[in-house]
Amino acid sequence: MRGSNDSPAWLIVTQREIVARVMNKAYLFGLLITVLLIAGIAGFFAWQSQQTDSYDVAVTAGDELAVTAAEQAAAQLRDGGELTVHEVADAYAARTALEDETADVWLRSGADGWTLSGWREPSGSLTQLLTPVVERVTVAERAEVLGTSFDELAAGGDLDTERLDGGDVDPGVVQFASFALAFLFFMGAIGSGQMIAASVVEEKQSRLVEIIASAVPLRQVLAGKVLGNSVIALAQNVLFASVGLVGLALTDFKAAVPAMTASLGWFVIFFTVGFVAVAALYAMAGALASRLEDLQGTTAPMSVVLMAVYLTTFGADGTLERVLSFVPVTSIVSMPVRVLSGAADWWEPVVALLLLAAFAVGVVLVSERAYRRALLQTGGRVGWRQALRAR
Amino acid sequence: MSTAHQEGDLEVRSLVRVFGTGDGAVRAVDDVSFRAPAGRLTGFVGGNGAGKTSTMRMIMGVLAPTSGETLVDGRPITATDRRAFGYMPEERGLYPKQAVLDQLVYLGRLRGIPAPAARAEILGHLERLGLADRAKDHVEKLSLGNQQRVQIIAALMGAPRALILDEPFSGLDPAAVDGMADLLREHTARGVPVLFSSHQLDLVERLCERLVILRRGQVVADGAPAELAARGTVRHRLVLSGDAGWVRGMPGVRAVDVDGPVALVELSDDGAGRALLHSALERGDVREFSPVRPSLTEIYREVAA
Repeated sequence: MRGSNDSPAWLIVTQREIVARVMNKAYLFGLLITVLLIAGIAGFFAWQSQQTDSYDVAVTAGDELAVTAAEQAAAQLRDGGELTVHEVADAYAARTALEDETADVWLRSGADGWTLSGWREPSGSLTQLLTPVVERVTVAERAEVLGTSFDELAAGGDLDTERLDGGDVDPGVVQFASFALAFLFFMGAIGSGQMIAASVVEEKQSRLVEIIASAVPLRQVLAGKVLGNSVIALAQNVLFASVGLVGLALTDFKAAVPAMTASLGWFVIFFTVGFVAVAALYAMAGALASRLEDLQGTTAPMSVVLMAVYLTTFGADGTLERVLSFVPVTSIVSMPVRVLSGAADWWEPVVALLLLAAFAVGVVLVSERAYRRALLQTGGRVGWRQALRAR
Repeated sequence: MSTAHQEGDLEVRSLVRVFGTGDGAVRAVDDVSFRAPAGRLTGFVGGNGAGKTSTMRMIMGVLAPTSGETLVDGRPITATDRRAFGYMPEERGLYPKQAVLDQLVYLGRLRGIPAPAARAEILGHLERLGLADRAKDHVEKLSLGNQQRVQIIAALMGAPRALILDEPFSGLDPAAVDGMADLLREHTARGVPVLFSSHQLDLVERLCERLVILRRGQVVADGAPAELAARGTVRHRLVLSGDAGWVRGMPGVRAVDVDGPVALVELSDDGAGRALLHSALERGDVREFSPVRPSLTEIYREVAA
């Protein structure tokens, strides 16, 4: 009757953890919301990058300088937008055009300087576009009076940029990525961690754990829980990362997709290894509680640590970032970001990963003992120190 | 208590469990020894805090003894043995949001029963307990009584080598109690020891072949119900033709109650009985002189008070 050909206990527990989660409606709903959120953010950026600005600029007939400036600005916009020049008869016609919105702004030159009028405050991006153009037209006019030309005056005044680290990823993308990875880490770790803690305390509170503990070693139960939840966390992050990458490919940052894919790949590996430690600690936090209501208290230290990781990693740069990229847990976020920015040598992520793995093994060993000790203790909350104390 | 071992007997020897340290330490189980013989229903009786649950948890290995041993077949119980024990813990609980059949199969697999065999056996049990149509329901949708039936199935599946059941009858109506008792007897008929705790003495007296009474962590009585009753202080009823007030003055005789010609007495020894009867015959007719066996309830009150 009792066959040994069935799966080992840890695998049975792993299967149950995964199946129970996939059948959990609240979890699936949360997952859907997050995917929609990521798709929504990507979609918004994609939509924004395809938006073309269109401006209607009024100039007064006879104001040759203004006509020239407006036409040059229109030429500069090219595919980034459209600028239409409307010649109006006089100042009164210009005011009317602004009031009835046939023109967004009215550009006019004057002896003391130029004026850009709008019915309301003129658009910032249009002002930004016109400022250098106006300057250039003014200088060109004076140059002609002095018997030279704008090009002659400006020759040798160009500023080119170059980058020596060989990286080709926009710093903005790196910054966005560090934010996104820190967010993924935080959501994944807290969300899945709380789920583990809840499932542990559920078994403890109902004494189911006594039935389980008398049937199989608790070590195997913990292994199954950590493994099952790590698989879920991994699958979840792969899903989020894929949705994010597809979204990114639709935006102006599509050039960053290959670099971002490599970075996300590292992140997924780091997260999976690091999550083993996080999962074991959350299982322990669950074992410390004796009822669901105690969970908030016993998981608080975990929440604080994860929040600190989140806050320090997404803003870090320079030496701090370099250090964080090796320190276990923060390395989950910081190292993939450094890989993306091209700041990390090939060996650096490997070393950081080994450190993280060693850390995970240590944490699992410590929390395994505490998990076993606390899980069968009934009546009241067990303190972290009490559970960790060796005996 | 006989000392002969029988294959499959469950035994605890000098079991001690102390909770807490220093002045606050409580000896919840204090040198408890008894045997739950194979093929017998053993009732474990005692008030709240008597140490029943702690003892059962130590037998199941989920509570570490401070000292003492738990044995099966005369040797220490191992994890492998326990895997084949059926256990029902004190507090009732299952995964509330999982289907009845799924979680029973899960618990069965953890105990080493292959999934198809577990499923077939569970469906049989559900059928028998009238829960066949609830197999796919979430446990939280079941009534408390039905949840308890599901829990008992968790303990009974896989032909366990021993059954340790903490309050299996609590909350069941009389018909369900009889059904549960029949189910347990099927297992004792297989030669399996069944140890169950209860605070309902009448139930235990009616159902079990062996009784262990616990009080404040110590065994105060252990044996078959009839044996225990025989061991209780035997009283004698004396009915005379005249007034029985004179028995109060007899040496070696304690008059528990005297009412006209009827006296209830406790005798220090057989000689005192002979002397009493002799005196009675000198004074007139003796209509009745018989031993009175106390009921188990009286013994229980006496020992567990």
